[in-house]
Amino acid sequence: MAAYIDVQNLSYSYPDGTLALRKVNLRVNNGDFLALIGQNGSGKTTLSKCLNGILKPTDGTVLVDGFDTSTASVAEMVRRVGYVFQNPDHQIFNSNVYDEIAYGPRNIGLREAEVKDRVIEATRVVGLKDEHLSVHPFFLPKGLRQRVAIASILALRPKVIIVDEPTTGQDMYQSFEIMNFLTELHEKNGHIIIIVTHDMPIVARYAKRVVVMAMGQIIMDGPTAEVFSHPEELSKSFVKPPQITRLGQSLLTYGFPPNILRVEEMAAVVKEKMVFTP
Amino acid sequence: MEIVRIEDLRWKYSEAREYTLKGVNLFLEEGKFLGIVGPNGAGKTTLVYTLNGLIPYRYNGIKKGRVFIYGHDTEATPVEKLTSWVGLVFSDPEAQFTSMTVEDELVFGMENIGLDRKEIKARLEWVTELTNTASLLEKPPYELSGGQKQRVAIASVLAMKPKLLIMDEPTSMLDPIGRETIFEVIARLKQEEGITIIAIEHNLELLAAVADDMALLNDGQIIFQAQTREFFNNYDLLIANQIYPPEVTQMAGILRKEGYWPGSLPLNIEQARKQISKSLVRAV
Repeated sequence: MAAYIDVQNLSYSYPDGTLALRKVNLRVNNGDFLALIGQNGSGKTTLSKCLNGILKPTDGTVLVDGFDTSTASVAEMVRRVGYVFQNPDHQIFNSNVYDEIAYGPRNIGLREAEVKDRVIEATRVVGLKDEHLSVHPFFLPKGLRQRVAIASILALRPKVIIVDEPTTGQDMYQSFEIMNFLTELHEKNGHIIIIVTHDMPIVARYAKRVVVMAMGQIIMDGPTAEVFSHPEELSKSFVKPPQITRLGQSLLTYGFPPNILRVEEMAAVVKEKMVFTP
Repeated sequence: MEIVRIEDLRWKYSEAREYTLKGVNLFLEEGKFLGIVGPNGAGKTTLVYTLNGLIPYRYNGIKKGRVFIYGHDTEATPVEKLTSWVGLVFSDPEAQFTSMTVEDELVFGMENIGLDRKEIKARLEWVTELTNTASLLEKPPYELSGGQKQRVAIASVLAMKPKLLIMDEPTSMLDPIGRETIFEVIARLKQEEGITIIAIEHNLELLAAVADDMALLNDGQIIFQAQTREFFNNYDLLIANQIYPPEVTQMAGILRKEGYWPGSLPLNIEQARKQISKSLVRAV
């Protein structure tokens, strides 16, 4: 099966000469909920920006749904891959929520009736209320501003949604809320989700697949439980598995598995061992 | 010796409809490290603004109740005096940078309070060593990585030798490595300098490892304040206030509810590992 996004031998240098990506290969498939991790400067943000043509390859190719990002139009790209910036305030610029969400659909030349349908649909999906539509985005709390940012991406109906640092600056409860919402988009509406993040407990809880970057290259790529069960390998990108995974790994001699991802899972394993140890 | 005492403090920003602080009581002894947690919007930042005089001197609003630093009511104390006692590091370090090099940034505040050359030089050496910023002195602040910026921000506040150092989400913009280096700096400040510290932080795994005391703020009130181990032992109360303790603490909290965890809840991997292996050996 053809990958939805096919990255082949991608290299990218910034105008100042910094080589940020070196011959990266990556296939993003239907059904992926993927986390891109690695320390600052590892290339993960650069890679994520190459996936919808914000950045064009210096060398190699990126194919999205068969379109080559270096020749495809912006309109062709934004209908397929949406990018939500880390700080929603960096992408919000209209004076009311309706116009903010309508901006993308208008920009790709849709008629106003269609634009309205898209705005209403996107508003419902992200759980904003009708009374929010006339409000200035900056009067909304940050969690809602992030929803506005996501709605403005959804209104273009992209297959892939990339979210840069969805949980930065949020408390845990807000983080769970935003991640549950992305999971719903993934499961109910079939979106491919890519998150770029440093938040390992969030990765462990929500991502199905993890891609680890170091020095402009992909050093690991696999199912989340598999990737987190190799702490030595991960440390090359200065990443540690979540605390609960590391606890399991410190108890290997008692037969604990090295790939426990969630607190509840660990509790169940401990309980089982206590009950069944004769 | 008491450094901070807050009595029934209420504060309403003039443009807000409701009070942000709704009767806060807080006590902090000199030399202690206090971690403050609470959901976003609970009033944490507002609370620390009352300690260095930003509230009520810089912001407009209605204040009731009293705040004492070393027994001095902040409303009867000149701001210069308060700022010499209390140093505040903002969560966004760029908001506090004004100079073209890190060295100027660090020296600026010291020149401003009229320190002589010799003292400035001595303090510069001290803070750069402590925060590992000596190699950055020539660089413009905007060229630094997030973790370096945060260390410079801490250094510039420390150079003023505050008695109380307050950090408002010092690691929220950093990657895991950056976070750990900041907490290494904080641990050194506590151990080597005995400075009193208040930190607001969402990352409880790191905070639990260094804090002596913890306070939970929600909806403008201190819900609970206790020594760190005891604080996290009140698992249900924390969860009810949308605070998620370190993962190993959460795990033990779940097990305790079902009767499988004797003793107090662990705060780190080592404590959890010991308690688990002990009970498994006993089961054998």
